[in-house]
Amino acid sequence: MNFKYGILKNILLLVLLLLIQKTFIKILSLSSLNISPDFVMIMLVYIGVKEGKISGSIYGFLAGLLADFLSGTFIGLSAISYTIAAFLAGFFKSENEKFLTGYFFLISVFACSFAGNFIYFWIYFQGAPINLPEVMIKYVLTSSAYTTLISLVYVVFPRKKKIERSFLGET
Amino acid sequence: MKRIGQFILGVKEYLILTVLLIFSLAFLFSNDNTQIRFLRAVAVGMFGTVQSGLSSIPNVFDLQQENKLLRETNIRLSNEVSNLKEAKLENIRLTRLLNFKEFSGMGLVSANIVNKSIIQTRNTITLNTGESDSVFVNMPVITDAGLVGRVVSTSRNFSIAQILFNKDMRITVKSQRSRIDGILTYDGVSTLSVINIQKSADIIPGDVFITSEYSNLYPSGIPIGTVVETGNLDNLFMKIIVVPLVDFASLENVFVVKYIQNKERYALEKTFQAGKK
Repeated sequence: MNFKYGILKNILLLVLLLLIQKTFIKILSLSSLNISPDFVMIMLVYIGVKEGKISGSIYGFLAGLLADFLSGTFIGLSAISYTIAAFLAGFFKSENEKFLTGYFFLISVFACSFAGNFIYFWIYFQGAPINLPEVMIKYVLTSSAYTTLISLVYVVFPRKKKIERSFLGET
Repeated sequence: MKRIGQFILGVKEYLILTVLLIFSLAFLFSNDNTQIRFLRAVAVGMFGTVQSGLSSIPNVFDLQQENKLLRETNIRLSNEVSNLKEAKLENIRLTRLLNFKEFSGMGLVSANIVNKSIIQTRNTITLNTGESDSVFVNMPVITDAGLVGRVVSTSRNFSIAQILFNKDMRITVKSQRSRIDGILTYDGVSTLSVINIQKSADIIPGDVFITSEYSNLYPSGIPIGTVVETGNLDNLFMKIIVVPLVDFASLENVFVVKYIQNKERYALEKTFQAGKK
């Protein structure tokens, strides 16, 4: 029951984040290059770190495929990048879930989104008059950094809850 | 067999990853597939429905941006409308002048007014045409409506003309209907009047005064103004108030008539006047 509930929760959250990503992302877009944070990536990293490589890659594949269907670009491109990024997130899985807390989570988000963005933009710009270092600097690094910055919200939020609990006398 | 099973279990994560990547690549290489297009259409349709519902949520940032854009567009369009109105009016004016030029039969030089004074005692207009266009002193200035004045000073590319509302201006005029002669003058304040007309003369409101053939400066027959008021000036003469046919307030384009006074006639009249004195 919990297992099914967990799957449903993950799917709903991913669909919701994808909806937000596709609808409101313009607000957070930076520069003429439309550098934007990837909410779905943050969620996938969380799933990957929490549940492991298999879950991560399956959720990554499904979320990527849905994102591809909704985008005007190649179908399969986001699927590949999300699958690999979420699979890599599985390497950060540990018993004490260290990489789901604090700055460790930021590191894992940056590493995974860097890998995902690299694959995505590298394939995306194939045949375009832009070289790889330029793609790395203009798109991969900036998008990954921005996504990591946004994932700070997740890092701050549990701490707040912890503070609230301590006020209530809980441990 | 057991070993193979163990091996597969050991690398199951990579196997799943490989399968998923193969699927992804298969999708990537079949983008133009009909089924893929159908799936895409279904997904976009479903998400589109939800997104259209969400679009009713006001997006402050977008609204700000949209407002800014609309304001800019508004200003740009207002400017364009203003320019178009100006062009339309100019077109009407120029067409009228062009028709006039074609039908007047006189040698005309078109000019734009670049400066104008109409509220002083001695009012003038500055024209953007001068000696380079064969414009000289004493040439009459007219529009399609009637007489404007005469050129009193010229430079190479500009000229200054006295207008009817100038205290120095005295023009021999004639009633178009009754052919009675008089002299048009400006009182220096606001009124144009025709003087030297006897009390018994046949002048009524509505009569039009034109330039007389007695004038050595203006060709005869140019309309000047309409009588709006008549009365007695004194026991001998009539008081006739005239409103010019030209609207000086909105005047922008004029013509200088290439009409030069007859020097022989001028010299004879001057000599005769001097002899009388």
